[in-house]
Amino acid sequence: MAELPFPLPDLGEGLIEATVLEWLVAEGDQVERNQPLVEVETTKSALELPSPQSGMVLKVHGAPGDVIKVGEPLVVFEVPDDTAGIVGTVPTEEAPKRRVRLSANLDED
Amino acid sequence: MGGTETMMAGTAASAAPLELSLQGALNLALDEILAEDPKALVLGEDVGTLGGVFRVTSGLAGKHGAARVFDTPLAESGILGMSIGLAMAGFHPIPEVQFDGFAYPAVNQIVCQLGRMNYRSRGTLPMPVTLRVPSFGGIRAPEHHGESLEALFAHVPGLKVVSPADPQQGYTLLKAAARMPDPVIFMEPKSRYWQKGQVITESGLDDGGKSPVADGAAGARIARPGRHLTLVAWGAMVARCLQVAELAAEDGIDVEVLDLRWLKPIHADALAASVGKTRRAVVVHEAPRTSGLGAEVAQIITERCFGTLKAPVERVTGFDVPYPSGDLEDEYIPNIDRILFGIQRVLEYKRG
Repeated sequence: MAELPFPLPDLGEGLIEATVLEWLVAEGDQVERNQPLVEVETTKSALELPSPQSGMVLKVHGAPGDVIKVGEPLVVFEVPDDTAGIVGTVPTEEAPKRRVRLSANLDED
Repeated sequence: MGGTETMMAGTAASAAPLELSLQGALNLALDEILAEDPKALVLGEDVGTLGGVFRVTSGLAGKHGAARVFDTPLAESGILGMSIGLAMAGFHPIPEVQFDGFAYPAVNQIVCQLGRMNYRSRGTLPMPVTLRVPSFGGIRAPEHHGESLEALFAHVPGLKVVSPADPQQGYTLLKAAARMPDPVIFMEPKSRYWQKGQVITESGLDDGGKSPVADGAAGARIARPGRHLTLVAWGAMVARCLQVAELAAEDGIDVEVLDLRWLKPIHADALAASVGKTRRAVVVHEAPRTSGLGAEVAQIITERCFGTLKAPVERVTGFDVPYPSGDLEDEYIPNIDRILFGIQRVLEYKRG
């Protein structure tokens, strides 16, 4: 298993921080991609942050009322070692399937 | 490699091969390069704090320091420009562009500076730069994340181009590339990053300073011997061609798989030796067909083996379109049936 940090992203045009209002997940929870993680408030609005990926929430940073700066850790996920990076999916190794069969008269060799 | 076996027998436990993914093998190679070469540097987007989007540089910044493994701004021309300047100042940079399609913004630096600085300076400014490029398709990624640029780079005088097919090749070829005085474009098959295999490391070999692992990095490699036909491939297509060879064996066709490894310079003698024996050849690549490297391979084979070839060299490739979205990927990348069809066309060919 590998740890994957999720730092607080820039939630608007050049916002530098956000205040934690309420955690919607707890440490130890298994979350899916796009599942709301936390409600935060910026100088512009309050909003729910969706999870960038699926995985187990290993650690959450900041209690309600705490201010977190953009780029600082928000959540640390635990993910399997074969989890893809920021794009794409890990290919699965499958037994090869075929429709084409070969035929040849190799005696001419 | 007979010497390798002898030495492995002599060093028993420490020489046991490691079971590593390609990610892990590349990570280990970089770790060892940084440890043994104080001039080596690793730089690129997210290679430091994050450890790379594919975890290839994971832990290296912590171990070797943020001055030697560091993040750059999102600017590929800057990554390459900085690497060229560092090389001029005596460093051995190992930059990464995060994905194949983002090498395009750095093409001016690669072609006009990196490839020809040694030539331009009459040999006073060699460019010991190893550019790591996660390459090729197969992971359902969006645009710019599945391209095959080997023909583009192989066409540039002054560059070497190499692509590993498995963890052992990743380790061996990256260590060899990083020791070269020349710029090397190192194309990592990203669809193979998670596949595991056995890796014999240099540290497992008490070789008295002469590394058989590094010696094993020259030229092409027979990935599977065979008698009736040679499949030529590189990168991720080697594993697929090995699968095809297994299926062909069910039909009584004994296929040799040649892992080309070095795409510039191409190991012409290895092509001639293999196809000289099998007398039939199919070259397989993901890149578009027109002016793809398969054409160069086919021409080298034709030049060397024309007298004994049983059929024209067949190409099984991607198509002359931009690399498609993930849903169409399986139609674009040469699949098992397309490769088998290519083999059948060669087997059926009749002269006259």
